[in-house]
Amino acid sequence: MPWQGNPDPSGVRSILRTGEIARPLGDPRAARREWTDESLMLAIAARDDYAFAVLYDRYADLVYSAALRVLADAQLAEDVTQDVFVRLWRRPESFISARGRFLTWFMSVTRNRAIDEIRALGRRHRREAPQPDDSESDTCLRIAAPGDDPLIEAELHELSVRVRAAVSELPRDQRRALELAYFGGLTQQEISELSHEPLGTIKTRIRLGMQKLRRSLQDRI
Amino acid sequence: MNRPCLTQEIADEFAIGSLPVMVEAELAEHLRECESCLEMTRAAQRLAAALALTAPLARSPSGLRRRTFVAAGVARTRLAGRLLRYGSAAAGVAAALLAVGAFTGMVAVRNQVQDLRQENSNLGTQVEDLLSQKIEILALTRRLSDEERTSDELQQAARGDRDLLLAMLSPEADVAEVFSVEPGASSIGRLVWDRDQKKVWFVANRLRSLPAGETYQVWASAGGKYHSLGTFNAEPSGFARYETIVPQGLENYESAVVTIERAGGAPERTGSSVFVADLSRLRR
Repeated sequence: MPWQGNPDPSGVRSILRTGEIARPLGDPRAARREWTDESLMLAIAARDDYAFAVLYDRYADLVYSAALRVLADAQLAEDVTQDVFVRLWRRPESFISARGRFLTWFMSVTRNRAIDEIRALGRRHRREAPQPDDSESDTCLRIAAPGDDPLIEAELHELSVRVRAAVSELPRDQRRALELAYFGGLTQQEISELSHEPLGTIKTRIRLGMQKLRRSLQDRI
Repeated sequence: MNRPCLTQEIADEFAIGSLPVMVEAELAEHLRECESCLEMTRAAQRLAAALALTAPLARSPSGLRRRTFVAAGVARTRLAGRLLRYGSAAAGVAAALLAVGAFTGMVAVRNQVQDLRQENSNLGTQVEDLLSQKIEILALTRRLSDEERTSDELQQAARGDRDLLLAMLSPEADVAEVFSVEPGASSIGRLVWDRDQKKVWFVANRLRSLPAGETYQVWASAGGKYHSLGTFNAEPSGFARYETIVPQGLENYESAVVTIERAGGAPERTGSSVFVADLSRLRR
């Protein structure tokens, strides 16, 4: 439909930022640390291994943590982390900046790869996903904020804080349903059976949880 | 298309991965054909991906970095490669030093080594400059492609304006005033129905923005039945302009209304009318 809205300018914005890349001086890796994710991806597409190293250092812990959360197995999480970075290096064109931020795309790739791993192993996680302790406010203090560039580090830290705050504000049941689906790879029917709740209740919790997250994070995601 | 458009709820369930595999496959097939559903689903996927940031932070094992680089083919174990290269170079330079030193003395050799180092450094800088230029060219190429896309969209909008103007001037078109159903509300826009182009335009102002999960939907009543003409959203300024092809078999209409429905639109009218096209104020 022609009039559904204006084209998403995020891609254009990313490209404009890319045009402002500083010329590398001295240590090429040090110069790239100030680049945005989107600029690094352009450089990776041009087979720049320094850019790949910077992106790895920026997100390896986050990717590994997300994979570990899904798989609950350190060795498998390592395999998934290695695999998603290798795929990133081999097929950088699979990221399209106009469709959104690199970070959310990459986290989505990681989660899907980890869920695929569970399914491929034929051992669906029917356990309850570990519940974050409601009182673990100190966790917010050690949120992932890797990387060497203070600006990027601060931006990532702020985003993580916002997401954690938004999730922690959800009622426990809604948060649990979202986490079982997202991190546990369970369908609504499976969550219903696991929690002995009607399917309709689970659907409602997921719907309300997503609605609240959308309201809380719509200006950041 | 093989199934109706997705609601926000289904898009959320799809994004978070809570649907059965068969349903996911069916939806994926629909998403390949429906751009608006795809856009809604992508937004839901971006939201769902943010959940990954809530995973407790664990440091990746130190050996993983090297393994990943080797698997990617990035690292020819950089240190070893560098040692090998420098080792070979050092052996050559050492041999040269011995030979040259015997004839010209160490001072001259030192100067040459410094020159070589400088040359090497300059070459390194040039390589970096070339790489930066290559990236900037890539960025410019992408920007150009974006500009072309914007230009195409503007051209499309201009064609739409021209078609709307032609329709408003055409004797084959009905132009009806659109009113809010609130008592005493004045005209807020026009509904243009062009039998010649087989197109309908809805242009209105002062519309309120709807919350996520809701959309405006236009209906034409013919033979006592409401036919959907599609969905649209208002811009933040309150302006909305929507055009669509008249569905096949719908030659004319008796009245037209706009309702508020769930995002993605409803197959049957469910909401009450918020705007009506007043046919008593029809102009030809």
